[in-house]
Amino acid sequence: MNILETENLVIKRMGIPVVREVNLVASSGEISVLLGANGAGKTTLLEGISGIIPIASGSVELEGNDMVKVSAGKRALAGIAHVEQGRTIFGSMTTEENLKVALHPDASLEEIYELFPELLARKDVQSMMLSGGEQQMVVIGRALVGRPKVVLIDEMSAGLAPVVVNRLMKGVRRLADLGLAVVLVEQFANLALEIGDRAYVMRRGSFVYEGDCATLGNDPDQLHHLYLGDIGEAA
Amino acid sequence: MNSLLTSAVAGLSAGGAYAILGVCVVFTYRLVSVVKFTATALGAIGAFVMVIMTEMGYPLLPSVLVGILVGALASTAVGLITTIWFSGSSQSIKAAVTAALLVCIIAMGQRLTGGQQPRAFPDIVGGAGIQLAGVTITAASLVAIGFAVFLTVAAEQVLNRTRMGLQLRALSERPMAAELLGIPVRRLAIGVWAASGAMTSIALMLVAPLRSPDFGSLSLLVVPAFAAALIGSFKSFRAALVGGILIGVIEGLASVFVGLNQYRAAVPFLVILVVLLWSQRGAQWDEAR
Repeated sequence: MNILETENLVIKRMGIPVVREVNLVASSGEISVLLGANGAGKTTLLEGISGIIPIASGSVELEGNDMVKVSAGKRALAGIAHVEQGRTIFGSMTTEENLKVALHPDASLEEIYELFPELLARKDVQSMMLSGGEQQMVVIGRALVGRPKVVLIDEMSAGLAPVVVNRLMKGVRRLADLGLAVVLVEQFANLALEIGDRAYVMRRGSFVYEGDCATLGNDPDQLHHLYLGDIGEAA
Repeated sequence: MNSLLTSAVAGLSAGGAYAILGVCVVFTYRLVSVVKFTATALGAIGAFVMVIMTEMGYPLLPSVLVGILVGALASTAVGLITTIWFSGSSQSIKAAVTAALLVCIIAMGQRLTGGQQPRAFPDIVGGAGIQLAGVTITAASLVAIGFAVFLTVAAEQVLNRTRMGLQLRALSERPMAAELLGIPVRRLAIGVWAASGAMTSIALMLVAPLRSPDFGSLSLLVVPAFAAALIGSFKSFRAALVGGILIGVIEGLASVFVGLNQYRAAVPFLVILVVLLWSQRGAQWDEAR
């Protein structure tokens, strides 16, 4: 079931189109992996969907409801969770306070401790004292206790050790298995394609590939070409 | 010796008001990241609405309540300007906006309230106070200090023990992340502005009968308020509380000495200077090493 759909989405920064005519679908129980080189427009796309920056034209629909004119806060309450890049913890709060701040009445902290058991022992630790991986778990957990329908995750692995990234990827897969729609922007392309279902590759603001993750994961040459385009071919 | 004690105790009333104002400055800075230069000018609006109503013959209590409400609304209006028009601006821009508004509010306030002519502010507390070691502590001093302590404890408890407090802390640390969690960021920010406006109105109603109560003088009490807040590095409610009371007591003590009395208004500036120098000591020592 499609939870989130964008149609001909255009997002501009300082009047310049950074996302051009993008059609993205995120379905319940699936991970849509969004790949692309730096500057391709991935983060801008997520920011447009969650309402951080305005949409120039096109549509964003959550379960069929138009979100274009809805504020970021109301989109969050409607079910769009956005895990921004850069581990945006509330550093002065403990792990548990970070989770409680957005706790939905129907959600419980136990669900998060079950998903990331590492956090249970660290629940009373000030979150700025946590490791990078633990901080990322807190941020993902904090998004989940708001009972979202779709989770947008932006570059969660930046600056983390591969073993930690592996751990986080398993957690993200679990989210989809629990029925959430996940949109995952990731630089660790191979790891993301391993856990993902639907793949999109973005270049210069447009999608240059849409297909299943397994096919793209098994064709590294195509992935290389999709990332770099003509530059890749020349090299 | 007794005159020193009497003067120090006399300074407690102003100290209590400075403490309330300092706690309000910390409150606004911590939660909406704005150095609020308009803090006392907005409170002065509330205080003057109260005095104008009593002059018109309205009873004291309704006048006080309306004054507090108007102070809260005036503060809300400034809050709306900063949260809507300057939401993405830096702290320094927001501070500059409130400084510019301070000048406007003082100019308009003086024009509307009779210039520098002091008004007859009623004593909203009343009562004789208590005797301690032969010195009278006025009811106004006790209420001001009690209210300052109450605000400090209440602010800490709300921030640390309630869900709204958690949301306010989230708002102060990362407004965008808070909004993305569905926290009603704008509503909370406006609430902070309104609450601080109400609190500063109360503080100025308490302190006005003891000062030269013209609009400009009350508005410039932002200086001792900032000095108190600075003692707590604009973070600690308790340090602002203690700092505000200490500034009041030092001002009171200064009134004993003939040579110092006319300069006692400079005490907050000296406190600001000393605290800033003290806060720089680490950098200077590091450089010296």
